[in-house]
Amino acid sequence: MEVQLGHYLALASIIFGIGAIGFLTRRNVLIQLMSIELMLNSVNLTLLAFNRWASSDHAGQMFAFFVIAVAAAEAAVGLAIVVGFFRLHHTVHTDQANTLKH
Amino acid sequence: MSPWLALSPLLVVGIGSLTVMMVDAFSNKKDDLSILSSAILIAAAAIAGSLWFGGLPPQTPEILAPYLAVDAMSQFFNITICGGAALCAMLAGGYLREHDLERGDFYSMLMLCAFGAMVLSSATDLVSVFIGLETMSLGVYCLVAFRRGSARAIEGAIKYFLLGSFAAAILLFGSALLYGATGHTDLLGIGQTIRNGNAELGLALVAMSMLVVGLAFKVSAVPFHMWTPDAYEGAITPATAFMSVVVKAAAFAVMLRVLITCFGDPLSAGAASGWPPIIAVVAVVTMIYGNIAAIYQSNIKRMLAYSSIAHAGYILIGVVAAFRVQNTAVSAVLYYLMAYTVSNVLAFGSLIVMGTRGKEAVTFDDLAGAGKRHPMAALPFIIGMLSLMGFPPTAGFFGKYYVFNAALQADSGMHWLVIIAVIASAIGAFYYLRVIVYLFMKDPETGAPQAVAMKSGYVVTALVLSAYFVLEMGITPSNYLKMALAAAAGLV
Amino acid sequence: MSIAAISFFFVCGAVAIASALITVTQNNPIRAAFSLLAHIIALAGLFIGLQGHFLAVIQLIIYAGVVVVLFIFTIMYIGPVPKPESAGRPSFAKLFSIAGMVVVTGAVTYAALGYSPALKGLNTCPEAVAECGQFGGVEAFSAALFRGGVVPFELISILLTVAVVGAIMVARGRLIYREKPRRKKQELSIENNR
Repeated sequence: MEVQLGHYLALASIIFGIGAIGFLTRRNVLIQLMSIELMLNSVNLTLLAFNRWASSDHAGQMFAFFVIAVAAAEAAVGLAIVVGFFRLHHTVHTDQANTLKH
Repeated sequence: MSPWLALSPLLVVGIGSLTVMMVDAFSNKKDDLSILSSAILIAAAAIAGSLWFGGLPPQTPEILAPYLAVDAMSQFFNITICGGAALCAMLAGGYLREHDLERGDFYSMLMLCAFGAMVLSSATDLVSVFIGLETMSLGVYCLVAFRRGSARAIEGAIKYFLLGSFAAAILLFGSALLYGATGHTDLLGIGQTIRNGNAELGLALVAMSMLVVGLAFKVSAVPFHMWTPDAYEGAITPATAFMSVVVKAAAFAVMLRVLITCFGDPLSAGAASGWPPIIAVVAVVTMIYGNIAAIYQSNIKRMLAYSSIAHAGYILIGVVAAFRVQNTAVSAVLYYLMAYTVSNVLAFGSLIVMGTRGKEAVTFDDLAGAGKRHPMAALPFIIGMLSLMGFPPTAGFFGKYYVFNAALQADSGMHWLVIIAVIASAIGAFYYLRVIVYLFMKDPETGAPQAVAMKSGYVVTALVLSAYFVLEMGITPSNYLKMALAAAAGLV
Repeated sequence: MSIAAISFFFVCGAVAIASALITVTQNNPIRAAFSLLAHIIALAGLFIGLQGHFLAVIQLIIYAGVVVVLFIFTIMYIGPVPKPESAGRPSFAKLFSIAGMVVVTGAVTYAALGYSPALKGLNTCPEAVAECGQFGGVEAFSAALFRGGVVPFELISILLTVAVVGAIMVARGRLIYREKPRRKKQELSIENNR
């Protein structure tokens, strides 16, 4: 047996799904942020897998490189907002974010 | 043309934001920063204009080629974005001082966001689309959280951030699949591969729907609008104005580029298959929901947030029409975006001018009778509301007119879309007129808080400029439509 | 493909999925952060299997070294959160979204498993040689990056500036004023928080 592109894509879509479900169901902001990191990670895996199979240059790997940089920046800003949220509410549960009318 | 010259609007804004940061660090007078940043942004808009009218290069410089376009459309958006951002910086100059929030980082962040929006609107590669989108979005999340002592601001920011990052991740997964389906990351290469039939079509269609979801989120189309009212209400008003004009314009620019350049082939842009029917349904839901939800708002900023959702619906009609009559529809969308930029700055600017610290206009009740007390401050409010409503001698009227016209030309099957849009804008007239009714025909209840108008040269300048453009675009729309047509021709 | 390479894929894949599941189900954020770390290391292993040697290293440095550390730092700063997640009845929307995502993920996974195009001829390193200047190595990758990707590389610098300025803008300083959760119309003033 060989490890095929399909295996990598299946793995990536499972991780993406886990991240998406985690994001949608959890109410702890920190866990939600980690779920987003999981989703970005699965994108990186997809990009590398496609780059290995579908093309002959480094386009996919370069894309993944930039995604990693963006993910780090996003985590920094996200955690800063979480710290700001925590200072006001003394919690990290988004259920507490209900000051604004719905 | 050298790449430096081609990139000069971007470079001016980028270096300008760093300059503002430096000036902020070494000076004590924060209101100068408003002048400085709006001057830099206007200069960037002027440079983009002179690049455009001085003759664009027939080909993008090689080093930029796959990533950023230097075409007429990108210059059009550079002008719109820089102009809108400059007006917002002026609004901030008055607002931040009045509310004792003066911090220089607001201006540098505003310019960095404008930089991201400019990158996004001229991006021609999935990589630069993503980087531009994130640069703009991360900056806007921080602008929403600017008033960090306020629970509302942080709450709006956290909702916006979480949903925005989720949408960005979906968009990114779509980009990765699109790369896998075609082997390219540049939009032109993707489009050609799909046209030639060398792409994995199933994968490309899945990727397309994911990209549409991500972009629909950024333009706040229903059902991806949940963040909009909260983020708009939580942010300080100049930041709200910035979000509603610059972010929206850049998101529509990239939407047009991705849909037309990548998925312009007959199969994925067909009337029965591909994106036009999806976007048409989204447009209908967005218009109806935005307008009806806006009626039930008592908070003016939330009302304007739902109104911006409704306007996204009208613009989406133009995007749908672009699959048949590309030039007409794209130019209509561009005209609409420009008109919407000036009208919305006018609306939010009037909201700012209607309030001093502690006595600001938050709900409709605060506005009761304000027109009688401060007729000069109410005048721009009226013009802004009429333009958003689409009343004839204003920019908003011609924006709607051109978009609906393009839809009628595109396909006989789109008549129903235009009929729904007209009904929706008739519903919309209700809540815009309600503002005017409250301003002039209601008397405040005894003891209720009353909004008191502020005095600020910056805000007045921004209001005069945007009111001028709202009327000018309404009285001589053909000049601006010509500009939009020339810009639309740049889109391949 | 050798047995070792195949089993390497399955081990890394199993660790990645298991640690991802632990991350999203864990109630204790520290444990979630550590299983995120395990996930990232497993993914770095998968990257090596895909000839992404340089990216595997970057993954470890940036994700494991920066992002996870930032998470742990924030969790430590925040300290133990008083209220545990409410274990009320899951709402209809929540169940619906879970079911929807499970169905979509399952369908995509099933479709992907049957997808097996042939490998294109890449100049890859021979197996068990990590660095050879070919596809995915530092030399080849950086040549591609600095010849073909200069523009996004420079744009990233502005993005990082945004992140730095933004993080300072949002989280700097001490809190002076704490707003009451639902304020009345009479106290519409905006607090001073310079």
